[in-house]
Amino acid sequence: MKRLLWPLLLLCSLLPAQQIQVSEHSLSNGMKILIHPDRDVPNVALYFFYKIGSRNERPGTTGISHYFEHMMFNGAKKYGPKQFDIEMEKAGGSNNAYTTRDITAYTDWFPKSALELMFDMEADRIRDLAFDPKIVESERGVVYSERRMSIDNSPFGTLYEQVNAAAYTAHPYGWPVVGWASDIEAWTMDDLKAHFKMGYAPNNCVMVVTGDVNQSEVLALAKKYIEPIPAQPPPPAIRTKEPAQLGERRIVVKRPSALALLLISYHIPETRHADGPALELLEAILSSGRSSRLYSRLVDKDQLVLNINAGTQLALDPGQFLFSMQVRSGVDPIKAEAALYDELAKLAAAPVPAAELEKAKTQKLAGHYRALKTISGKANLIGQYEVFFGDYRKLNTVAAELEKVTAAGIQRVASQYFKETNRTVGTLIPVQGGAQ
Amino acid sequence: MIARTIPFLLVCGALLAQSPAVKLPPFSKKILPNGATLIVIEKPDVPLVTLRAIFRGGGEAVAPAQAGLAPLTAELLRRGAAALSASQINEQLDSLGAQLQTSAEPGSTVVALEYMKRNQDASLALFEQILLKPAFPEAEFTKSRAQAVDRAKSAKDNPGRVINLYWDPFFYPAAHPYHAPLSGDELTLASITRDHVLAYHKANFTGRNLILIASGDLAASTLGPRLEQIASALPAGEAHKPPAAAPVKFDSPRLLLIDKPDATQTYFMIGWPGLARTDRDRTAVQVINTLFGGRFTSMLNDELRVNSGLTYGARSRFEEERLPGSVYISTYTKVESTVQAIDIALGLLTSLRDKGISAEQLLSARNYIKGRFPTEQLETAEDIAAILGEIELFGLNKGEIDDYFSRLDALDLDQANAAARKWYRNDNLQFLLVGPAAKIQDQVKKYAPKMKVQSINTPGLRTPPFD
Repeated sequence: MKRLLWPLLLLCSLLPAQQIQVSEHSLSNGMKILIHPDRDVPNVALYFFYKIGSRNERPGTTGISHYFEHMMFNGAKKYGPKQFDIEMEKAGGSNNAYTTRDITAYTDWFPKSALELMFDMEADRIRDLAFDPKIVESERGVVYSERRMSIDNSPFGTLYEQVNAAAYTAHPYGWPVVGWASDIEAWTMDDLKAHFKMGYAPNNCVMVVTGDVNQSEVLALAKKYIEPIPAQPPPPAIRTKEPAQLGERRIVVKRPSALALLLISYHIPETRHADGPALELLEAILSSGRSSRLYSRLVDKDQLVLNINAGTQLALDPGQFLFSMQVRSGVDPIKAEAALYDELAKLAAAPVPAAELEKAKTQKLAGHYRALKTISGKANLIGQYEVFFGDYRKLNTVAAELEKVTAAGIQRVASQYFKETNRTVGTLIPVQGGAQ
Repeated sequence: MIARTIPFLLVCGALLAQSPAVKLPPFSKKILPNGATLIVIEKPDVPLVTLRAIFRGGGEAVAPAQAGLAPLTAELLRRGAAALSASQINEQLDSLGAQLQTSAEPGSTVVALEYMKRNQDASLALFEQILLKPAFPEAEFTKSRAQAVDRAKSAKDNPGRVINLYWDPFFYPAAHPYHAPLSGDELTLASITRDHVLAYHKANFTGRNLILIASGDLAASTLGPRLEQIASALPAGEAHKPPAAAPVKFDSPRLLLIDKPDATQTYFMIGWPGLARTDRDRTAVQVINTLFGGRFTSMLNDELRVNSGLTYGARSRFEEERLPGSVYISTYTKVESTVQAIDIALGLLTSLRDKGISAEQLLSARNYIKGRFPTEQLETAEDIAAILGEIELFGLNKGEIDDYFSRLDALDLDQANAAARKWYRNDNLQFLLVGPAAKIQDQVKKYAPKMKVQSINTPGLRTPPFD
């Protein structure tokens, strides 16, 4: 089935309908504020993106960014232990937070009536966080439990941690965001305080507000609560650059598992690099939807794997293009690995047909707009574009950026990065002891 | 990315509210001559439309020996229809930027298509083929079944996931419609034939069983007649007859320990009989559950995570299905603190019954439910389609929507505490654990004289008899 015309129509139709209007402001202490009113529901999403993550850690304190993310909910000067959650839930709000290699994000959702309360509580914890030794200990247990759940008791989590550590020999992306177990056991109060001082300054943060708000009320509250908090020096620049990889690295993990797993990592540039759009489209060509090259070959036609995912992660420093697969029972993982390389070689050898490239552009764009359906989706994307792409306005030029990518460009990028010398291959081999 | 919590979801399905600023948009509803229900609702915020076809039946229309037939049939709908092969369907969907999702629930099967408004005609043509003319090619059947078997095996690698799969076979007695695992296991899936699929499809995918909902950036005046044409082409068939079942009752506590020797945490669920989706106590239970284990500051999470650092998260849930389901506590902790965590959970359950909740807690829970409601339930076209579908499926009415906030407001402290005592039981509790038996089985015996240990390597999800 060749459907050349439809995707072209799509690009034209989506573009004007989905411009996200954002107003940009700065406080005198350096905090940037991005506001997007949307009155579809009487609620607000208030997101804070602190530009500090596991890449700002050092050996011995790995995981402390994430641990700190937990500690931000454990009491400050005006709102003591538990009060942030208690007051927020009582006002009809809820929250979460997440930590990546590059950022720590705090995500608040609440009815508009709670807007001032949220500014008061957010300012309180940025300005006057408390460090209660008893809570520091109990939260250590919580984080350790999280590590056991997401890594130690997960075949994929175990393999991912090992592949990552092998892919990076020098750069801090090599250690896990949650932290090595021995570091979780050993963080000290001084480590926590140093981390707070390094990363939690208003000038190191982007605030995004979407939902049922007026620009003027947000700015008035920001001036009242956030602006008095003084600026501090930002975290030191990451000096270490990962040296070029000169040959394939292979690691094996043996542990109980029903199926073998494969995880293959290629080094690629940082998110805002000019090759970004082509890499995004490669992700779609390779694994978006069941008509994608890898799904149709490895899952459907050859039946070598149960599922396959391919893709990049947002990254301030040079990152990875990852392929993960669950190998079917009775299949030698080497066959699945060979089929993947065969498909990657095809991309390097010949340009992608025009219809396939258009399909990929349509899929990427449709996915982008699906992420804009909710106020929380919009808050997250606005912040991610500002931090990782360097400008929230790029949110509105996604279609144009994708449109610029040519089949020749895809071919060049595929051959440049999907090289044997640039990859780290992890295989999880099931052993007795768990589900067989 | 590592997150602070696994999000606490409201367990309510179709809890809707009328408030000054949040209203369900107006919708049209029509019963077609073949018995199908058609609902069309205009919600134009992004240029997307969601179609949600719900067929009554689902897991409860499947014989226990063929558990897994409902999701397998749902999957096969997209693997060949009329002259289109599975790969042609995939190619069309991806080229249109459309997404098709098929799934099975205990009482229904759902086929959901989200398409771009501009591609409406082509998307509807594809939807029509999938809905009316699935071909169930032999090769695709064989392939899908083999994939489902491998998926069932690998589910056992994740203790947090597999404990939920064991719950139904453990909790519901063998004769109950919810006893067999909805997704099946490697044994039941292997016994399914293509003839089972054909017979199941013929019996359940009928006009009388169909609720078809369109929601999004659409014009009801043009899309309505087109959907009517599609839905009307289904044979009327027989209406699904929901199986009856005696209420679940336990005479004694039971404990099933699924032995996973390599686990470094113990995952556990503690449950007791609960209520049906339509029970009149559902609003009160929503409030009580919010306070007991339904949000971050809940009693369970506060004690097990915040105060003691024993776990990353602890919660309670109540199932909301046609037949009364279970209410359960669920969490996990390092192996060494298994008993400590279970004892704390049991203490909190007793305390909830004995002490009840305070007026301040009632107010906080009410605000929390209301405050989250618009973004949890009404923000997107899919949210609204899902809610309307649930109202139809469970035979609820507009009052479910219009009166929800007023029902919440009308709930007084005595009623809330009566509901806590009625629906949060601490007698004859049912314990399901996944963890290393050698390290914990002697310690957990105390919870139930009737204790069984079963290896996670025992094929399938069957649980041992207790009597």
